[in-house]
Parts: sequence; structure tokens; C-alpha cells
Amino acid sequence: MITIVEGADRDHHPTLLDEMFRMRAVVFADRLEWDVSVTDGREIDRFDAEDPLYLLSLDDRTGTLQGAVRLLPTTGPNMLRDVFPVLVPGGAPASPLIWESSRFAVNPAAFNECERVEANHVVNRTTIELLCGIVEVSQRAGIEHVVSVFDARMARIFRTIDCAFEVIGIPTRIGRTMSYAGVFDMSDAMRERLGEAGRLLAPVLTGVEPQRIPDLRHA
Amino acid sequence: MILQGLLSDNVQLTELLSRLESIADGAELVAFMEFLVDAYDLKTCAYLGFDVTARPEQEPYLAVTYTQEWIEHYKAQQYVNIDPAVHIGMRRILPTDWENFDLRSDDVRRLFGDAIEFGLGRHGISLPVHGQHCDKALVSITCDAGILEWRHRRLQYMRDFQMLALYIHQAVLRLEGRVVEQMRLSPRERECLQWAGEGKTAWETAVILGLSERTVRCYLEGARYKLGAANNAHAVNKAGKTSLLSQLP
Repeated sequence: MITIVEGADRDHHPTLLDEMFRMRAVVFADRLEWDVSVTDGREIDRFDAEDPLYLLSLDDRTGTLQGAVRLLPTTGPNMLRDVFPVLVPGGAPASPLIWESSRFAVNPAAFNECERVEANHVVNRTTIELLCGIVEVSQRAGIEHVVSVFDARMARIFRTIDCAFEVIGIPTRIGRTMSYAGVFDMSDAMRERLGEAGRLLAPVLTGVEPQRIPDLRHA
Repeated sequence: MILQGLLSDNVQLTELLSRLESIADGAELVAFMEFLVDAYDLKTCAYLGFDVTARPEQEPYLAVTYTQEWIEHYKAQQYVNIDPAVHIGMRRILPTDWENFDLRSDDVRRLFGDAIEFGLGRHGISLPVHGQHCDKALVSITCDAGILEWRHRRLQYMRDFQMLALYIHQAVLRLEGRVVEQMRLSPRERECLQWAGEGKTAWETAVILGLSERTVRCYLEGARYKLGAANNAHAVNKAGKTSLLSQLP
């Protein structure tokens, strides 16, 4: 299941967030060799100081961290506008109805012990669960689109699991990898496709009453 | 468009936004918020802005439709120190429904009891605003509808006030002498808006430009926000006035 942690809840989840920052160091610095700064084994950047919303995927039985992603409003400081403007020469999208997702990570420790086949299953399931969580939490707040910067590896994963996106701006080589800015539609159709790909038909967010914004876009 | 669900029949979001643009001082801003209270059948509307001026150590900016009695009572009781709407709402990006506050503390229960006594609605939501330069604000609205009616309206309130809160915040920045940068439209945003101006739907524009419909909607959302527009027609109109549409690449 997915747990939401916002700035206001940070004090209630100190260990969980610490675990997330350590996982991010392992994933982004050690494995993917991104140019991120790691202090005391934790990868934390300036956007973590902006009280973002984190989605944490926790194992249903053990409660261990399986993956995480970070969401920021595009009206304020965000990575596409402030770090990767090169990807969007015409200007980064900004709207109260658009959020940005970043630091999408699946915990390597969660599948290290598994058999190879089983490990792939865990990775896929956690990835899809986090994406379902993004759609669900966006719909709770009336958010219609999410933009994100991702690399060719993530683009392949999105295609495999039927997570449709559209590239905006100009894909650019940053460091060793091609980077893309993409936009994702936070619609019921998106949630259904992901639900089918990951067999996650029930809501993935914990402790949340279903809150749907009626789709008035065609009204 | 989106707002007509809750707004009384003779009010348009376009009109609300142009009224916001002509606000010249704090009193007019409060009058505008009082107008919103009427138009949306609310009890109160409050704006609290942080870091809205370039001057350091500045007190938060406050614009509220509350009665003077409630403001004085709130200050005298130093409720700002315990008010969860302020302390929790400001540190979220999701809108906060006051129903979800932890009422185990006696002080917090007393605050909400007093609030109803002083004329705030029984239900409330607080919407955080995240500005371009780490400036932040919180817009809170209260309503006295029955619980079922409230649950029904709440989602639409959230959506409308996500936009209104941001535009109120920008009006405050303007009043405080902060330069609100006129944001450039990206080439794609301009193109989509031009086709909207020709009367094309998002789907038709998608076909013309070889994009998906959702991407066209995303570009139009960005363009509407940058122009402070309520809907596509309003955006086309405003872009025309500032000749943004003619600046083709």
C-alpha cells in the first residue's frame, strides 16, 4: 500500500523518511550514478526543503520501504523549471492544476534476497503501485496533469506497463543518458490501464476515503 | 466552465479574475473576498500570505472576511500558535479539510468551538499556495451547508479555489509591490491557444498538431495559468490584448 507523507506529517514519520533518503542515495548515486549530492549516506536536495508530498510504498506485511516518489506544485520551485530548463526551451509548464513528480525510486533492498523472476515482479508491482498512487493523490486534489523528467530507462519501463506519456520540449543528453520531460494524464483511464497492468484495481492509498473530482472538462 | 457548478448564475469566473486585476488596495481585496463568499454561498474566506514582500522580518499578510470580534478574540487567545489550519495547512500541497484535524487537544477543540460561535462555518478547507519565489500562502474557506451537501460541494470548492487562491496571492504580491513576472508562453502553448481561438476543440487541435488530446489540454492549462485566464476563450482574448499570440517563433 501507499502512504502519503507531507511536510506537516514529517515529524510523525522520521525513520520512514530517513530510510527513503538512504534508499535514494543507493539508487541515484550508487546504482544510476546520477550527479546528486549524498551526505551521511542520504540523498537530500533543496526541493526536499520545500515541503513536498512523498508517496511511500510499504510492504503490506512487513511495512518495509519498497519505493518512493516526490511531488511538487509547478507554481513553486520545481526541478523542470529550476534544474532542467534545457529540456523545455519554451518554458516549463506551470499551473495550479499541474504537479511535478521526481526522485522515483524502487528500493533495491526490497528485492535483493528474491529470486530473479520474483525480483522483476516486485520491481514492476512497486513501480505500478507508485504510479497508481500518483494518479489517486492527484485526483484527490483536482490535479489534471503531472510532468516529470526521466531517462531512457524509465521511458522503456513506462511503455512496458502501458503508462502513456507525451514528451514535451526537446529530449537532451544530460551526463550519460538521454533525458526527457514528459506529461502524464491523471485520468480515470490512466488509473484503469495501470490497474490492469499491475492487477491493482482497488485504491492503493492507505486510510483515504474515495474523493473524486467529477470530470467537468467536457461540460 | 468549471466554476459554474457552484457559482450563482450571474457570475462568471472570467469576471472574478478581471475584478481581481483591478484591485488597488487591501480594502478592495477584502471586498472581493466578501463577493466570493456571496457568490459561492460560503460563510467566510481568509488569506494568509508569507514572504509576500521583499522586506525581511515582515509580518504575514492577512486579508479576511471575519468579523472584527473574531479577529480580536483570535488574537487575544493567541490562537495562531495552535491553529492547525495554519500549522498543518501551510506544510501541505494537498488541500486540508478541517474535518481531518486532530481534535484531541482541548485548545484546538476550544478554537473550533469558538470559531462557530463567532460566525465561521461548520466546515472548512485550507488550500496552500506555492509561489514562484518560495512565497507561500494559505486560503481558507468555511461553509455552513449540511454534511452531505458539504461533501458534495467540497471537491468543486477545492478545484475552483486552487485557482482562485493562486490569483488572490498574485494580487497581494502586486499590492505589495512585488513584480509578478509576465510569463512567456511556450511555442506549443501559443499554437494550442491559437487553434482554440479558431474555435477548435482540444481533440481537433490534437489532430492538427499531431499531439495527443491530453497534451493539448496540458498546454492549454499552462497557457491559461500564465495569462491568469478562467477559460480558453478568456486566455485567447488576453493573449490577443498583450499580442502574445503574434510572437510566433
